[in-house]
Parts: sequence; C-alpha cells; structure tokens
Amino acid sequence: MTAPATPAPVLDVWNLTTSFRIEGTWYPAVRGISFALAPNETLALVGESGCGKSMTALSILGLVPTANGRVEADGIMFEGRDLARLSDEEMREVRGNGISMIFQEPMTSLNPVLTIGFQVTEALIYHQNLSRAEAEREALALLDLVKIPSAKSRFREYPHQFSGGMRQRVMIAMALACRPKVILADEPTTALDVTIQAQILALLNELKAETGMSMIFITHNLGVVAALADRVAVMYAGDIVEIASVGELFARPTHPYTEALLRSIPRSDRDTAELHTIPGAVPPIHRMPKGCRFAARCPLAQDICRAMDPPLEPLDPESPHAVRCWVRGGHDLAALTEDANV
Amino acid sequence: MSDPLLRVRDLRTHFRVKRGFPNPETVTVRALDEISFEVKRGEAFGLVGESGCGKSTAGRSILRLVEPDSGSIEFDGEDVLRADKARMRALRRRLQIIFQDPYSSLNPRMRIGTALAEPLLVHGIMGKAEAAERVRDLLVEVGLPRDAGIRFPHEFSGGQRQRLGIARALTLNPELIIADEPVSALDVSIQSQILMLLRNLQETHDLSFIFISHDLGVVRYFCQVMAVMYLGRIVEKGPIPRIFDEPLHPYTVMLRDASPVPDPTARKAFERIEGEVPSAINPPSGCHFHPRCKHATELCRKVYPKWMEVDAQRGVACHLYDPASGMSPKP
Repeated sequence: MTAPATPAPVLDVWNLTTSFRIEGTWYPAVRGISFALAPNETLALVGESGCGKSMTALSILGLVPTANGRVEADGIMFEGRDLARLSDEEMREVRGNGISMIFQEPMTSLNPVLTIGFQVTEALIYHQNLSRAEAEREALALLDLVKIPSAKSRFREYPHQFSGGMRQRVMIAMALACRPKVILADEPTTALDVTIQAQILALLNELKAETGMSMIFITHNLGVVAALADRVAVMYAGDIVEIASVGELFARPTHPYTEALLRSIPRSDRDTAELHTIPGAVPPIHRMPKGCRFAARCPLAQDICRAMDPPLEPLDPESPHAVRCWVRGGHDLAALTEDANV
Repeated sequence: MSDPLLRVRDLRTHFRVKRGFPNPETVTVRALDEISFEVKRGEAFGLVGESGCGKSTAGRSILRLVEPDSGSIEFDGEDVLRADKARMRALRRRLQIIFQDPYSSLNPRMRIGTALAEPLLVHGIMGKAEAAERVRDLLVEVGLPRDAGIRFPHEFSGGQRQRLGIARALTLNPELIIADEPVSALDVSIQSQILMLLRNLQETHDLSFIFISHDLGVVRYFCQVMAVMYLGRIVEKGPIPRIFDEPLHPYTVMLRDASPVPDPTARKAFERIEGEVPSAINPPSGCHFHPRCKHATELCRKVYPKWMEVDAQRGVACHLYDPASGMSPKP
C-alpha cells in the first residue's frame, strides 16, 4: 500500500503476524496486517471478540507472551526504529515514554496496596528521572489534567476508594505521564456506565487535541467509534477487512461484514423495525476455513471466496478506502474465476 | 385481558451490609425505594439505568430471590409476597428469569439435557422419557441441535449458552420472563441473533417480559414501555419511542445523549455530562439526581419530587416538570 505523501506516520506497521501455538501447531491470530497512524490521528480498531484487535496492540508493545506466542513483522516503525527488532531494555524505554497503553479494567492494572499518588509518581521517577518532589508536583498536575476532583486531597487515597470512572482517569494520567506520542487504548470505556463512558471519551478527545498525540482505540462498540475515530479499521478473524475514514466507513460500508455489523446494532436514536442478523459465529483460530474467512457467513459468497483469500485493496487506486473482498472490492470476478480454474 | 399481568406497588428492598475495617459498621443500601409499575400481557417492559440503580434488584425482588421489605407484587391477581412455599413454587413456574451470564447458572458437571429436564421432573409435570423429548424440542426451538443435550456447558460458546439460558427459562412454559441484561456480554452479531430469538419466542408463546438493560438501543428495539431508574427509584416511565423523542426527566435526557450512536455525523458534545452516580448507601438529599442536574433548584436539593402521572401511559418524578404546559426544562 502506498499512502499519499501526507505527513510521515508516527507509527507504521508492516505485515504484522501474531501466532499462537496450540498443541504444537502455530496458528495466526493476527494475519499480516499493515496500517499507518498519522500524527494526532485516532485510528479505531473495531471487531468482535477474538478478531485480533487487542493482540495487535500487545504485539506493537512487545507484550505478547513468548512462551506460546510469536510476533513477526516486516517492520513496526516508530520514531525511525523498528520495534520488532528492539532488545527488551530498549523496548522498556519505548513503553510509557513513546507509546503507552490504557487497559479495559483499571483495577487490575493498579496496585491495591499503594496510593494513587505513589503509582502516578513512580512512572515519572522511573521514566523521566525526576526527584520525588518534582515527580509529585507533576503527578498532581496530571491528576488535575484528567479532571479528578480535589486531586490534592485524594493523592494519598488507595484505588478502592476511587470509582470505576475515576480509576480509568488515573490510568489515563499514568499513560500520559511521560508525554507519549501514541496511546493504545484497549476498550477503555467498556466496563463503564454510559454517562461515565461519555466523560472519558470527551476527556480523551480533549487530551488528544491538547497534546497532539495519536491514538489507537480498540473497541467492539461502533457507536464509540463514530463518536471519536478519525479513521477505522474493521477486523475479522485476524484480518483487517476494511479500512476507511470514519465518515466514509459509516456512509459507505463496503465489506459485507461491516455492512452486516452496522445493520445488527439496535439504535437508541431511531426505530429499528427489523434487526439484521449474521448467521453462525467466528470460526475458532485453529479451524479457519480456506479462502475468505467470512465466506461461510456471507450472503454474497461465490465459489472464488471459498477457494482464494482476497487481498486488502483500495476501492480505486487513489482511494484511502480499502476492502478485503472479492465481490465488493471491485475485482473482475469472471477473469479471476477463470484463473482459479486454470 | 385489560388487567395487567404484573402489578408492582411501592416495592422497597433495602440491604443491610457491614462495611469498614477494622471496625465494621452496619449500613443500609437503599437498593430499591418504593417503585411501582405494571406489565401488561404480551408486553415487553424495559427497566434501564446505570450500575447500582436497582434494576437487577427489582427483577430479583419480584421473584423473591431477594426478599423485599415492603410493598406489594400482584401477579395475575395473586399476591406474590404473601404466597406460602407451595404457592410460590406454583408461581415460579409462571415467572422465570434469564441471567446475563448463563454459564454461572449451569452446573458444569451436568449434561445439558439433564439440567433442562430437571424442572419438569421436580415439578412432577412429566415422566423421564417425555421430559427428554420435551428437552429436545426446546433445544431446537432456541436454535441448538436436537441432540445437544448430551453435551456439557463448557462445550458451548457464549451465544449458545445464552440460548441454553433461554431454553431453561422456557421449560415450564412461563408467562412472564425477567431478562436481566441477557445480551450485554455478547458480541454484536450474536446479540442480534439472541434478540431476534427472544422476539420470536415472545410472539409464539405470548410471553411478557421485564427486560433489564443498560443499553438504550437494545431496549428501544425490544420493549414497548420503559422505566428509567436512578438510585433505587423510577424517575420516568413512558411508551417507546415517545420517551426517547420527548424525555421529561433531565436524567433520561442525559442517558439518551450519552448513549453512543453509530453515526459520525451525529457527534455530540459529551462535555455536558456531569458527575457520577452517588452511592445508594447515602443518597443525596431531595431529588437524588440534583447534584448532576444543571436545572436543580433549592426545592430539588431539599424535597424528593412526587410522582406525577402525565397521562395514562407516562409519568415523571421531577420538580421542574410543569403539568400545565407539559414542559420540562430544555437542555
């Protein structure tokens, strides 16, 4: 894929494959995906459980367990370095300082026996070599930045004294502590109530505008995607099946999976007479079919879909809207079928 | 048939819990504070609200899975709270519940067929052979293979387990099903399958539902009437879609505006959403919502608003609602 000559991406992922070993055989959970993240851009990775969206983030940060997991890539380029080829020590330097991550459940990422203030301060002392006094001043400023009310008096409180929304604000403060260029947010609002979710989304949008950082936002919720993404990559069974700007994707969903997904959501803003359903389920990682992985659930599937894996290609050479589909991707099916038979 | 199937009046359930270390003290959680509503035959009634608003406690109190402190529940003319053990057992055949996570309500060591046949045998409705046949029919009805009964719960996916939860609830041919967040743990494509299944079953079995959910989209699709709960109380009640189009309570407006919709051209300013849900242990004085309400007045801070019937179908508990003009504060 050749992107138009716009600003150089902050993060450029080429052909990333993450595999897991099940009973001695390696199966890919992420299959050769490529994407670039522009400065100050929010790219949403959206898909259902097991589509590989979280694995993509963990792979970028080198957090895939090595016992049964393997990450291969032609390049995960960040600030002129290939993250896939860094030593553990160099990678530790990147994590937090260059790229940081926010997880779904803040309680499992916070230490229950240390104060909130201590935990935010620790990141600053460790990564930025500040003195304790300096770090505490900075930590307090961060807690103010993420709008924790009366941050000063709550500095010495413990995680259990914070609500779910406030804990997620603390996690965001910690992620921002070292002014990273990129934030990977993995379902950061999924465990929260809708009014708190709205607040956290507003906060992330505001912080992104203020700091100029970029964000990869992982979610299964297309409503959340519509609320904050600039660009969207839809994932299915380890592949990016469609990628486009947020406006384009919702206005012209082209992959049959994207289209079906959008029509399966009951909406709160309008009446839905008939809810669309997608038959079947995502095949398990060790029993992926040949050809297009969505073919078995796809109403448009042809013989070629079951025989050959479609490539992710732009709808037309100039278009940033790319789709991985034989039928909808603008391919000459007659010619392809002939080729396949030869 | 104009009489409602279920009539709940001033239902109150408080929990007393010990809190604190090293000197625990007993505090009262006002999980449910005098809620009233009715469910008509064949109707799907939605109970919505955020965590801790009491919507699940409401469902459980109706089945007496938790014992309410006061109020009344009338099911098809019968007083549920006064029913003795034998009567309750008979009532439970007609009132069933579906949980969010069916896996935790299935015995992992029992084959599905055995688990589903159990209520039929316990209630002495049919013999073993007949029950086995009924289970096979049920499995087909909820979209599972006819012979799935020989399998164990762990052999099923999340969506299939919810189908099992539904089959279990249907075994005794109930009239009212309380569905407590039945699709919240499911992926979108599976969620729509389960919603379609529930809707089909509602038609074929003439079922009524109390549908508990935090997802306004799901409730708008599935229900005909909805009540919005906040800190143990119903703050607004009304028919769908009118309650979405002209919400009367400021909290209903907030909830609606916070619900993300899959349409990037309709991006909303989320900044207007303030504060968090306070604790039900020590709810705010007056209207519980006043600390988050930008229209709050002195009266709202002091006195809990009375329930006002707007018309035969709608009601609201808000000082700012003006019955003369039918107006609520505009955002």
